[in-house]
Amino acid sequence: MTAPPPPGGTVFDIGYQRYTGAREGRGRGRRAVFKDGVRAAMGFGRGARAKFLPWTFVAILSFIGLIMALIAGAADRIGGPGTSDQLPSHGDFYGIASIILFVFAAVVAPELLCRDRREGVINLYLVRPLTGSDYVLARWSAFFTVMVAACWLPQFILLTGLAMGDPTPVQYLRDHWLDIPRFLAAGVVMAAYVTTLALLTASFTTRRAYASVFLVGLFVITVPFTAGSASEIGGTAGRWISMFNLTNIPVHVNDVIFGEASEITEGAPAGELPKMLLVAWYVLWTLGPGAVLWSRYRKLTP
Amino acid sequence: MMPPANALLTARNLTKHYRNVVALNDVSFDISEGITGILGENGAGKTTAIKLFLGLLPPTSGSARALSQDASESVSVRARLGYMPEHDCLPTHVSAAEFLTHMAEVSGLPPSAARTRAADTLRHTGLFEERYRAMSGYSTGMKQRVKLAQALVHDPAFVFLDEPTAGLDPVGREEMLALVRKTYREFGISVLFSSHLMADVERTCDRIIVLQAGRVAQSGEVKHFTKETETVFIEVDTNREQLVAALQRRGVGVTLDHGGLTIEGPDESVYDHVRDALVEAQAPLRRMAPRRRALAELFRRDGDDAIGGTP
Repeated sequence: MTAPPPPGGTVFDIGYQRYTGAREGRGRGRRAVFKDGVRAAMGFGRGARAKFLPWTFVAILSFIGLIMALIAGAADRIGGPGTSDQLPSHGDFYGIASIILFVFAAVVAPELLCRDRREGVINLYLVRPLTGSDYVLARWSAFFTVMVAACWLPQFILLTGLAMGDPTPVQYLRDHWLDIPRFLAAGVVMAAYVTTLALLTASFTTRRAYASVFLVGLFVITVPFTAGSASEIGGTAGRWISMFNLTNIPVHVNDVIFGEASEITEGAPAGELPKMLLVAWYVLWTLGPGAVLWSRYRKLTP
Repeated sequence: MMPPANALLTARNLTKHYRNVVALNDVSFDISEGITGILGENGAGKTTAIKLFLGLLPPTSGSARALSQDASESVSVRARLGYMPEHDCLPTHVSAAEFLTHMAEVSGLPPSAARTRAADTLRHTGLFEERYRAMSGYSTGMKQRVKLAQALVHDPAFVFLDEPTAGLDPVGREEMLALVRKTYREFGISVLFSSHLMADVERTCDRIIVLQAGRVAQSGEVKHFTKETETVFIEVDTNREQLVAALQRRGVGVTLDHGGLTIEGPDESVYDHVRDALVEAQAPLRRMAPRRRALAELFRRDGDDAIGGTP
């Protein structure tokens, strides 16, 4: 008769096993860096401290969308149908929320680049089947995705609120369906701009705090400076000075997309310039810093 | 010149200039399976050679091929290469398991395989129990193990270890050297071990390449170097001078050393000469022992103190 097996299991050391499975190459590497970038930006899989800042900004942006929807609903009930048409809506949201979006990018985006360089992890990325361009593009895409989500979420909250507040939600959506592709496109425009500027700044320092303070200072200082100088000088020179209001650059493109000036850019002298020039100015301010960012990482070696 | 069929790394007339500084000057060598030590003082060109093999730098002239591919032409070869840098390179806020899984994915492994490989590699490097702790709380020795583990997690065919014992205490150093030996002898992953510590290289490597000022000063099997420098140490109670004279009459080269005498590079016949000389000199033998010189001693003898010795 054989003895009964001992209680519990037995652990066998089968030694080192060679890996014989699939190797998915550079594409898998890019996706891994992208996924890690989204996790770093939003604090997924991290402690409460890492989640606090990004989710606070998402909450603030969603709250703005919710308040706009509630005010519009209340206005229609108090002032009668159509009153809410005079209130800020999808076309105005990015202008109203632009400073929040900029501060969000300034505070969170540097986390994706600064820490890797400060801790030397970048050296381990660059010795894998990944180039510096792959790395920075994956990081850019990760934060761009986060920013697009942060831009679109409040707009969908606003859309839902406006439709639900209307006596005939389906009719409201039929009448305003064009707002959806417009705010989606304007969200992409806003996200690409703030992502690029924030990551470019982050590429010059290993300290997240320095990058954040510089960016917030840049956005906060240029707004009153350019607005004040532009209105004081006036004329063509004033319009050009107004172009350097960094928070308004993507909002002018938002205006072009929606076909009307938003609450924020209504009085901006730059708004009087040709639309193509405003779009070209935006492209210059996005592609230019993007090219500098890329060149800083393209030939990076450990 | 064609590289040998079993060569994993091949350098041919490899030259690298950094503006006016010549880091590597027309070097050629092959590295095949096993553990190869690359020795040299700071600035000798060790790290530059590693970077050229990894394709991180373009050579000024010549070629650096890794696993039969020109390293500077494609990054895909790095999927089968591992690299453990000398300096700090670990994120402090994540656990070793999470970090290794991520690094395996970056090397191209699918997520589920990456998780399995991370756990396995941490087990083999002795960090299995600590794998879910944030790395900020790790000791220097544990961090060195994680650095080695990240170089192995994607199961490379060849791994570059840049000063893997740097900053370790004697016990940690022994453990790291044992892991390096295990990397080839148990895991089957060939190693290029860069160091300026000859004692580490001597105890770990099968072959060495010595770089000096960007050139290959020496290369070959470690046992070949030490065999060439075998000695016999003899200690007698009295009549030491008579014994020296008797040995010299028999054509045996002798040097006086630490109260005894040392015979350089002996062959089998020398023991007969020693026996006869001891009888002739009437010198009572206290001790006779064959000895090998350490590599450090060898290079010091060749006038190269700079490469190192024991730390």
